[in-house]
Amino acid sequence: MTDPQTIISADHLIAGYLPGVDILNGCSMDVKDGELIGVIGPNGAGKSTFLKALFGLVPVREGKVQLRGEDITNLKADKLVQRGIGFVPQTENVFPTLSIEENLEMGAYQAPKTYKSQRAKMYDLFPVLGKRRNQQAGSLSGGERQMVAMARALMMDPSVLLLDEPSAGLSPDRQDETFVRTRDINRTGVTVIMVEQNARRCLQICDRGYVLDQGTSAYTATGQELLADPKVIELYLGTLGADKDDEDDADASAAPEATPEKSE
Amino acid sequence: MRNANHAGQKARHFPLRIALLSTLTVAAITVISAVPAQASQLATEVADTSGGTETNLLLQNLLNGITFGLLLALASVGLSLIYATTGLSNFAHGEQVTFGAAAAFAAVTAGAPLLLAAVIAVAAGGASGWLQDTVLWSQLRKRRIAPMQQMIVSIGLALAAVNLLQIWMGAQRVRLSTSIEVRYEFGPVSIGPQTMISMAVCIVALGAVGFFLQRTRLGRATRAVSDNPALASATGISVNRVIRIVWIMSGSLAALGGVLLALYENTSDFSAGARILLLMFAAVTLGGLGHPFGALVGSLVVGVVAEVSTVFLPTPDLKYAIVMGMLILTLLVRPQGLLGRKERVG
Repeated sequence: MTDPQTIISADHLIAGYLPGVDILNGCSMDVKDGELIGVIGPNGAGKSTFLKALFGLVPVREGKVQLRGEDITNLKADKLVQRGIGFVPQTENVFPTLSIEENLEMGAYQAPKTYKSQRAKMYDLFPVLGKRRNQQAGSLSGGERQMVAMARALMMDPSVLLLDEPSAGLSPDRQDETFVRTRDINRTGVTVIMVEQNARRCLQICDRGYVLDQGTSAYTATGQELLADPKVIELYLGTLGADKDDEDDADASAAPEATPEKSE
Repeated sequence: MRNANHAGQKARHFPLRIALLSTLTVAAITVISAVPAQASQLATEVADTSGGTETNLLLQNLLNGITFGLLLALASVGLSLIYATTGLSNFAHGEQVTFGAAAAFAAVTAGAPLLLAAVIAVAAGGASGWLQDTVLWSQLRKRRIAPMQQMIVSIGLALAAVNLLQIWMGAQRVRLSTSIEVRYEFGPVSIGPQTMISMAVCIVALGAVGFFLQRTRLGRATRAVSDNPALASATGISVNRVIRIVWIMSGSLAALGGVLLALYENTSDFSAGARILLLMFAAVTLGGLGHPFGALVGSLVVGVVAEVSTVFLPTPDLKYAIVMGMLILTLLVRPQGLLGRKERVG
């Protein structure tokens, strides 16, 4: 029985790009409405594949993806956009020969009547895009493209936003800006599932984190709990992680140890 | 992911490189064997009509080049759009051009006036584009057949189509209009009314394509699909629907190009499209692969350079060799083509 608060769930997903080669080996996740979820893990753990499997970009061979109790497994991406899921890829996330404004228009392709009002909202949220609306997206910096990509994904007013490593390749300042903006977007009521290599920053802002390992969800706990978990620190955050901010944010003595995901 | 995309891009461009190499090979063969009548026809006409100074000849050839460039652009813009949205280098596009002339000829033979025959040809061209995509190309895409294999399929389709067209049209040359064209003198140049109408139709049709791509939502979606089909799909655009529309447009434009080419040359036959196929590839590559207006600019350059070069060349048979030489030089200096642009990295 699905929890009524659950907006999107994945149940024992087995998926991969090539026939017979599974990247996900029974990955599960339950996300409640309005949560900001961070997905972390080592390289090759299947984080991006998991996000793509949720969004129908990687074929799911076994298991089920549900949106508000409705089975959406292997639905095509354009159908998922109609149902209120937005996706921001890690790379090649803008249409380079289209202007910023045209990129946003494509985001609202399925709802042209709401285009103008949504565009105004996006220019409020990302003022720099409004100022440079006629500039070709291909000429923007990585951080600016990330903004365009996020704004475009928000044009359909999605209830769930999937972000694939939004801070990848950005300068530290731009990374911070991206995380703050992600939190802001989440505060407007959008459920966010974010895959991140920058595990520490991701866990600092997320409500809950999932640790993926070898295609399965190994742990889940709140972001603060995971930040304080000795095993997570050792394996994923590294020993250099005891910077001031983290000590402030994560009170190790107060945080309980993360619990293994009940996925088996 | 990044590597996969990079490899994907390389895979997309590979068939065009093959096409380019084929183009150059055929150009070389053309020069060696000095393929005759077709290549020298315009220059001969010009010499007859201008009959004056070298300046007159130059201006007349410039006008001829612009005319031929516009016709080539009309025929090749669909080739460019299909490549941009699907990655397919469609070697059967030449037969699509011939199909337009054949359909118009069939309609004229059945008693239809020329204008109606042209409309029928354009509609039939669009229908054939729709049919091809529905029965063949969308099925190959669904099965994730790589662009290289699709290109080979298109070569097979071209061979089959040219034989079918020969059965339909016969081996002889056909004419859409039997009236003798008067030529009007405008200073140093002369032009016939049929050619003027052809140019006007080309300009209107190409303008309409430009308007569609720049000013309509569907046109912008077409450009988005040509930029990145996977992202377009993830954004909510129905990529297959856009590609279907591109095939219909491409078929219609090629058919219109075929009709106008038949009027311009005052003749056509089952291999009329195949003869200009490699020039279309050259024009599209020169203008910038996948760029919506690359075909237009590339075709105009190809047309003008080919025709104007005949004024200075010892034999007009070399004009396409000059075009190919210019293509090579342009790509050496500007690999992305005239309108193509390098994307900012990082």
